[in-house]
Amino acid sequence: MSKYNFPSIIETNELSNLRLEVRNFITKSINDGDFSPTADAWVFSASPDFSKKIGTMGWLGMSFPRKYGGHERTALERYIVTEELLASGAPVAAHWIADRQSGSQILRFGTEEQKNLIIPKITSGECFFAIGMSEPDSGSDLASVKTKATKTNDGWKLEGRKIWSTGAHIAHYMIVLARTSPASKENRHEGLSQFLVDLSFPNIKIKGIEDMTGQRHFNETLFDNVILSKESLLGEEGKGWSQVVGELALERSGPERFLSHFTLLEKFIGEFRISLLKSGSSLVGKLIAELQTLRRMSFSVASMLQNGNSPETQAAFVKELGNRFEKMMIESLREISNIIPLYEWPTSLQNLFEDATLRIPSNSLRGGTTEIMKGIIARQLGLR
Amino acid sequence: MNNELDIISETTTKIFSKHITHELRQNINDNNTSLINLWKDIEEQGLTKIIVKEQFEGSNLPFNSILPVIQISTMMGVPVPFTETIICNYLFSELNISPPNGMITFAVETKNIKILNNKVSGNLLSIPYLNLTDQVIFITDIDKEKHLVFIKNKNGKMEATKNFLSEPRYNLTIQDCEILTIKKLNNNINFNHLGAIIRSAQMVGAMEKIINLSIDYCSQRIQFGRSLSKFQAIQHQIAEMAVELAASTAALASLNNFNELTPKLEDIAILKIRTGIAAGKLIAISHQVHGAMGFTKEYELSYFTKNLNSWRNDFGSEACWQELLGKSFLEKSNLNLWEYLTNKSI
Repeated sequence: MSKYNFPSIIETNELSNLRLEVRNFITKSINDGDFSPTADAWVFSASPDFSKKIGTMGWLGMSFPRKYGGHERTALERYIVTEELLASGAPVAAHWIADRQSGSQILRFGTEEQKNLIIPKITSGECFFAIGMSEPDSGSDLASVKTKATKTNDGWKLEGRKIWSTGAHIAHYMIVLARTSPASKENRHEGLSQFLVDLSFPNIKIKGIEDMTGQRHFNETLFDNVILSKESLLGEEGKGWSQVVGELALERSGPERFLSHFTLLEKFIGEFRISLLKSGSSLVGKLIAELQTLRRMSFSVASMLQNGNSPETQAAFVKELGNRFEKMMIESLREISNIIPLYEWPTSLQNLFEDATLRIPSNSLRGGTTEIMKGIIARQLGLR
Repeated sequence: MNNELDIISETTTKIFSKHITHELRQNINDNNTSLINLWKDIEEQGLTKIIVKEQFEGSNLPFNSILPVIQISTMMGVPVPFTETIICNYLFSELNISPPNGMITFAVETKNIKILNNKVSGNLLSIPYLNLTDQVIFITDIDKEKHLVFIKNKNGKMEATKNFLSEPRYNLTIQDCEILTIKKLNNNINFNHLGAIIRSAQMVGAMEKIINLSIDYCSQRIQFGRSLSKFQAIQHQIAEMAVELAASTAALASLNNFNELTPKLEDIAILKIRTGIAAGKLIAISHQVHGAMGFTKEYELSYFTKNLNSWRNDFGSEACWQELLGKSFLEKSNLNLWEYLTNKSI
C-alpha cells in the first residue's frame, strides 16, 4: 500500500500560530500598499523589495542551517508559510526558485565555500535563482541536453543554450545541467553535471521571450564559451542526473501546484456567496473536497522530505492532481457563469478570470508535463 | 497499538487467502459450507470485535483500527457481512450491550417504522447479506432521537434488490416483529457518518485490487506482438487510476487523526466525495483496459467494480455530500474560503 500512502500530518498549534503571523503580515502589507494580490504570482509577480521583507521576517531558507543564515525550522513550517503566501497572491516570484529548490540543492551537494557565498544571501531575500534544465531541443527528454561543459586547466568552459528559464532576467544565479562527458550506450544519464553559474559573468546573454499572455518571465539564456572556475561545479562530476531528480521532487510537490489561482476562487466566492448558496453549493463542495485533499497530500510530502525521504512518486501524484484541480476549477467557475453571466462580474474579477484562463495551459507543462508525471507513476507501478 | 494492528492485518490476510476464491463469491447462500467455514475462522480470531470493549471480549482498539482491516478484506473481496458485523458489534459495545454472536447486518435506510408494545413494523431497505443471517439492526427516530433497534428476521417479507448485481441486498417488510433490543444512540455516534466512513474504506480497498488486476491483466495480455502494459496509452490509463487512489487514501488517512469516533463532518464529506469521484473513474478506466474479458462474470474485475457502484451510493452519494459540504462553508459567512480551509476547529 506504500505507493499510495500519504500519512496524515496534524497541524500543531505552533504551526497555526505561525500561519496567523504570516497572515497578519500579509494583510498589513496589502493595507500598506506593498502589493496587490495576483494569480500565478509565484511565476509572474516578482518584487525584490517584498522578497527582502520576507527574508527579514525569517521566512526564507527556513529549514537551512543557522550557520549559513538559515533558521533551522522544519519543512512543515516552511509549508505553512508558502501556503499563506500563495493563497494571498503575494509577489513571491523573485525568490521562489532559490528558496524552493536551489538553496536546498546547494546545501545538499555544494562545497563549504559555495554554501558560505550563497545561502546567507538566499535567506535574506537578496539572491535569486533560475532553473537551467530545459533547452531548445530538450524538454521532457531532459537527459538529451546538449549544453556542454569542457574541462580547462583551471576550470570549465560552458557552451550551450537554456530555455524557458523563468526569471533569469532578474536572477543572480542559474543551476545549469550540462554534459561533461558523453553518455554511455547503456546509460544516457551518465556524464551529466550541475554547475552553479553566476549570471553576471561575461558571454552570457539573456533574451526575454514573450508568452501568450503578453508577459515576459520566460527567457532564453545563451552561454557562449563562458569561463567557469573549478568551484562552479555543483556536487559531483557525472552525477548531475541523480542530483536533478532530487531537485525535481522539491519542485513538484509544493502547494503552488494547486494554489496558483486560489486568489481567483476566493474573490469569486466573496463576490457571489449568496447566489452560490442558492444554486452552486455542490460545485463549491466539490472544489473544497479536492483542494483539502491536495493540501493534505502536499503537507504529507513536506513531512516525507523533512524525514529525509525522496518522495518522487508522491510528488508526481501531487503535481498531476494539482494541475488537474486548477483546470477543473476554471471550468467550474465557467459553469457557474451560466448562472451569473460573465458580464455581470466586477471588472477586476473578470480580468482575474481571463488571466487564469490564459495561464492555465502552462500549469501542466512547467515542472514536468502530465505525460512525464504519468510515466513516473507507471514506472513505480512496474509497467515500465 | 501499531504492532497489534499489524498482527491483526496479517491474520486477516491469512484467513481470507485461505478461504476466498472467485467461485465462492458467486455462491453467496447459507448452504455454502465454505462461507460458513470462512465466517467461523473470522469469528474465532476475534476479527469482528477489534473495536469492541474488553468487557464484551473485544480487543478495544481505537475506531480507526478497523480501517486497514476493512481495506484488506475488500481488497480480497470477502463475500460475507464482515464490515457490517464489525459496525453492528461496535454500536452494541458503545451502547454497553453485549454483541450477539454470528453475522449481523444493518438496513441502510428505513421507511414507515412504527413501534408499539416492543413490536416493530415497517420497511427496512437495502440490507446487505440478509440471505446469510437473520440478525438485523436499524436506526430509527423516536421522539426525534436516534435509536438502535435489533431484531431477528423470522417471517418478514424479503425482496432481493438489484443493487447493481453487487453483493446481495434485500428490502425487508416486517409486521409486528419482536424487538430484541432498543436503545437510544450516544450523542457522539452518527450511523450515517459511520456508514460513509466504512463504505469509503471499502472503496479504497476495492480500488487497490482493481489497479492490481489491471496491471496483471495488461502485463499478461499480448496484442500487436507485445504486452498491453508496454503501450504508453495503457500505462497512462493505469497511472490515472493510481492518481485517483492516492487522493482517496490521503482522504482516508485524515481519519487516522481521530482516536475517538467524532471525526469532523467535513472530513467525512471530503472522504466520501473524493473516494466516490475516484470510484467512478476507476470503474470506467479498468473496464476499458480489460476489454471484453472484464465484462464477463467469470473474471473477477466486475465483482469489484459492481461493489464500487453500490458503495458509492450508500450513505449519501458524492452529490449529497458535495451539497452539504458546500453549504457548510457558504453559510459560515464570517469566514472566507481560505480561513475555512485552514480552520482546524471546523
